[in-house]
Amino acid sequence: MQNKVVITGYGCLTASGADASGTWKAVLAGESGIREAATWDSSGWPWRLAGEIKDYSPRDLVSDRKLLKFITRQDVIGLNAVTQAVAHSGIIEHRDELADPTSFNDRTGVFVGSPATKYRYQHDFLSPLANAGGDSREFGVRAMEEVHPMWLLRTLPNNVLAYVGIQYGFKGANANVTAHGVSGSQAIAEACRYLRDGAIDRAIVVGYDSASELEALPYYASVGLLSSRGLRPFDRSRDGTVLGEGAGALVLETRDAAERRGAKIYGEVLGSSVVAEAEGVLSVREDGDGVSRAIRMALEESGKRPDVIGMISAHANGSKVSDAGEARAFTEIFGASSIPVTGFKWSLAHTIAASGAIESILTLLCLANGRVPGIANLEELSPECSGVSVSASEQKPRSSVGIVVSRGFAGLNSCIVLSSHA
Amino acid sequence: MTQSRTVAVTGVGMVTPLGNDAKSTWEAILSGESGVREIAGFDASGFPTRIAAEVKNLRAEETIEDRKLLKYVTPFSLFALAAAEEAVRDAGVRPTKATAERWGLVSGSGMMTMEFDFLQRFQREFAVDGQIDLARLGAEGARFISSPEFARHRAVAGQALLHKRYDIRGYSANLQALGLAMRVVRSGQADFVLAGGYDTMINPIGLAGFCLLGAISTDNDRPSSASRPFDLTRNGFVLGEGAGFMILEDWQRARDRGAKIYAEIAGEGNSLSSYRITDSPPSGDGPIQAIRSALEDAEETIDSIDYLNAHGTSTPMNDLSETNAIKAVFGDRAYDLAVSSTKSQMGHLIAAAGAVEGIICALAIQHSTAPMTANLRTPDAACDLDYVSEGCRPMQVDAALSNSFGFGGSNSCLVFRSPQRAENRGR
Repeated sequence: MQNKVVITGYGCLTASGADASGTWKAVLAGESGIREAATWDSSGWPWRLAGEIKDYSPRDLVSDRKLLKFITRQDVIGLNAVTQAVAHSGIIEHRDELADPTSFNDRTGVFVGSPATKYRYQHDFLSPLANAGGDSREFGVRAMEEVHPMWLLRTLPNNVLAYVGIQYGFKGANANVTAHGVSGSQAIAEACRYLRDGAIDRAIVVGYDSASELEALPYYASVGLLSSRGLRPFDRSRDGTVLGEGAGALVLETRDAAERRGAKIYGEVLGSSVVAEAEGVLSVREDGDGVSRAIRMALEESGKRPDVIGMISAHANGSKVSDAGEARAFTEIFGASSIPVTGFKWSLAHTIAASGAIESILTLLCLANGRVPGIANLEELSPECSGVSVSASEQKPRSSVGIVVSRGFAGLNSCIVLSSHA
Repeated sequence: MTQSRTVAVTGVGMVTPLGNDAKSTWEAILSGESGVREIAGFDASGFPTRIAAEVKNLRAEETIEDRKLLKYVTPFSLFALAAAEEAVRDAGVRPTKATAERWGLVSGSGMMTMEFDFLQRFQREFAVDGQIDLARLGAEGARFISSPEFARHRAVAGQALLHKRYDIRGYSANLQALGLAMRVVRSGQADFVLAGGYDTMINPIGLAGFCLLGAISTDNDRPSSASRPFDLTRNGFVLGEGAGFMILEDWQRARDRGAKIYAEIAGEGNSLSSYRITDSPPSGDGPIQAIRSALEDAEETIDSIDYLNAHGTSTPMNDLSETNAIKAVFGDRAYDLAVSSTKSQMGHLIAAAGAVEGIICALAIQHSTAPMTANLRTPDAACDLDYVSEGCRPMQVDAALSNSFGFGGSNSCLVFRSPQRAENRGR
C-alpha cells in the first residue's frame, strides 16, 4: 500500500507578505507587492517592475549570522520560509522529546526547488576582468587576488538544501530540482514519491527564488516575456509577466507518521505530475497541450474526476500565449464550467522556482477558508480566455480539492492536486 | 498492490576525458590511460592549477545534425546531446508519436550555464572599470543579449534540447538523476527513461572557484598522476567534464523486444550528510545511510556485492570518510570487496560523475572486469581496503554499487545487478 502524504506545516515569504498569513490577507484584499525595482537604481529603465521582498534584512530573516557569509540573497529567502514551515509543524519539539532522534533524522528528507545559477554570481569577476585588460593570464592572477575564497560555495545551487540539513540535522532522501517555473511543484512531487514509497517519513519541501535580479529584467524583456505596465492575467490587455522574489516551504509527512505524533494536519497532497512539451527552451504550445496532459495525469494519480475539483490555481503569469493555452486546457478538461479559477502572480509577481510551492500553500488556504481571491487587476476577460471562471472579485471553491498548475522553460508543465480535508 | 517493475539498462552513452563514446572510454579504462593534461581549452597559466581532464576533439557540427539546434548548444549541453544519442542508438529504441508520452527524461546538469565569453563581453559593454553602469544596462541590456544566448544560459537548456531532439513528451526532471529515473520506471510513470548527467566546470570561472577553495590538485608537473584516490599523498581532485546517459526501461518490455540488457538498476539510497558543505564527516555518517538504504532497496546483503565504484575524489577527507563508510556498512566483508575509483583516470566529472560511473558499473558487469584505481602507490594506513590498484581485474561481477557524493552533503548510492542475477531472483 502506498503511503498517503499530508501537509503538517507551511510558511512563505513573498513580495506581498512576510509570512503565509500576511500574503493571504494581501491577496484577499487585492493588494499587490509589485513595485519599481528598488534593490538597485532602476530609474530610467524601460522595464523596472518587480516583486521584491520588502524591507529585506538578512539578519532578521536568518538567525545564524555566521551563515550569512556563505549564502546569497535567494538562499536567505528560502531558509526563512523553511524556518517558518518547520516552526509551524512542531516537528522539532516532537523530535526533542524522542529518546533517540537518529531514526527521525535519517527518515526526514529535504526536497528543494532551486533557481540554480544567477547572473549576479559572476559580478565578482568583473573587476578582475577589467583589471586584466583582456590578458587571460593576468585574469587568472587577478581573480585569485580579488575574489573571495568562498565564492564557489556561496553560489552553489543546492545551498538551501545543504543548510536545511545542517541546521536541523536531517539526513534523509533529498533532491535539488532546477526546473525553472516548475521547480517548486516538482520538489513537492518528488518528495511525495519518496514518502509514498516509504523511503522517508517526512520531508521539508521548499521552492525559492530571487528572479528579479539586475540582468534578468532586460534579458527576459529581450525575448518578449516582460511587461512594463503590470502583470494582468487573462486580461485582454495582458502583455507579459513581472519577475519577483519569494519562497514557500511545506512540511509533508506520511499520514501514519503525522498521526503517530498527533500532528495537526492541514491537508493532503493527492497527486502530482510533470510533463514536457518538447518544443525547445522558450517555446510554449498555443493549444495548452502540456497543461492538459499534466492535469489529466495528476488527476489520474489522485483518483479524482474533473467534476470533483473545487478550484484551479492557474499559472496565470500574464503571458499572452501561456494564459490563453491554459484557458483552453481548462475548458477542454473541465468544460465550460463554473469552476473558480484564480492566480496569484498579479500580486506576488512570478517567482519562477518558488511559484509552485507558494501557490500550493495559497491554494490550501483558499480551500481551508472556502474563499478564492479574485484577480484584483482583471478589467476585461480576454476573448482568448473565455469560458474560464476568473473574476476580479472573490469566488467560492466548489469542494475541498483544488489543483495548482505551474509552467516553466523547456516546455515543462506540472500539476499538484491538493485537499484541505484532513 | 501492483508489483513494482524491474528496471533494465538497455543502452549506454558516454563522453569523457578518456573517450567520446562508451567503447573508447572503457578501452582507455582497461589500458590504464589518464585523461588529465595541461588545460588546452583556454589559457590557464595565471591559475595555481593548470591541469584538468578535458573532453578531446568533440565537434558540435559532427554531433548535431540540426543546424538550428547548434545555436542553442553550449559545451556542456553538447556533451549531453552526444552521450544521449549514443545511448539511444545503443538501445535500438526511440520515442515515436505513439510512445512519446511514455518516455521520460531525467537529467542532472551542472551549476555553470553562463559562458565566459558572454561575461567578457558584458564587462566590456557594461562594466568597463569593473563596476556595472546601471543606466547603460537598463537602456541597452535588452539589445545586448540574443534570444539563443538567453535560452542556452538557462539551467534547463540541456533538458529542453533533449526533449526536442527526441520528442520525449512524458515525465521530466532536472536533478540528481539515476535513482529517480529508476523509481519513475519502477512505478510505471514511464516505460522508458533517458537518464543521465552532463557537466563542465573547466572554464576560467569554474577553475577560479575551485582554485580559490583549494579543493583541486596543483600537481601541474605530473598531470597523469595528479588524481590518486586513497593514496597517502593525495592532495585534491582533478576537474573533469563530460556526460553519461542510459536508457532505462521496464525489464519485461526489454525482454519482449529482444533488447540487449547490460544490467538491472536495482536499488537506490539517497541521504544527506548534514555536516559541512564540502565534506562528509570522517566517520562516514551520511554515506553510510545511502549505502545501507541502497542495499535494502535492492534487497541485497553485504555478502552479495562484488564491486564498488567509489566516489573516490582524491581529496584527503572524502577518501577517508568513504573508506570508513564502507567499513561501517560491510564490517569484515569490506576487505573482500573490490573498490576502485575511476576518477583516478578521468578526474571528477561533477554533475556527470554519477551517471558515467553508473555506466562503468554496468560495463564492469558486462565485461566481468573491475576497473582499477590508478596512481595508488603510497598506501594510506587509514585507507586500507582492496582498491584494485594493480590494474583492472578480471572477475565476475554480479552485483555492483556506485557511490556519488556532492558538495552540500548529498549522497547517492546505486545498486546494479547482472542480467543473470536479475533473472534468477524470485523465479
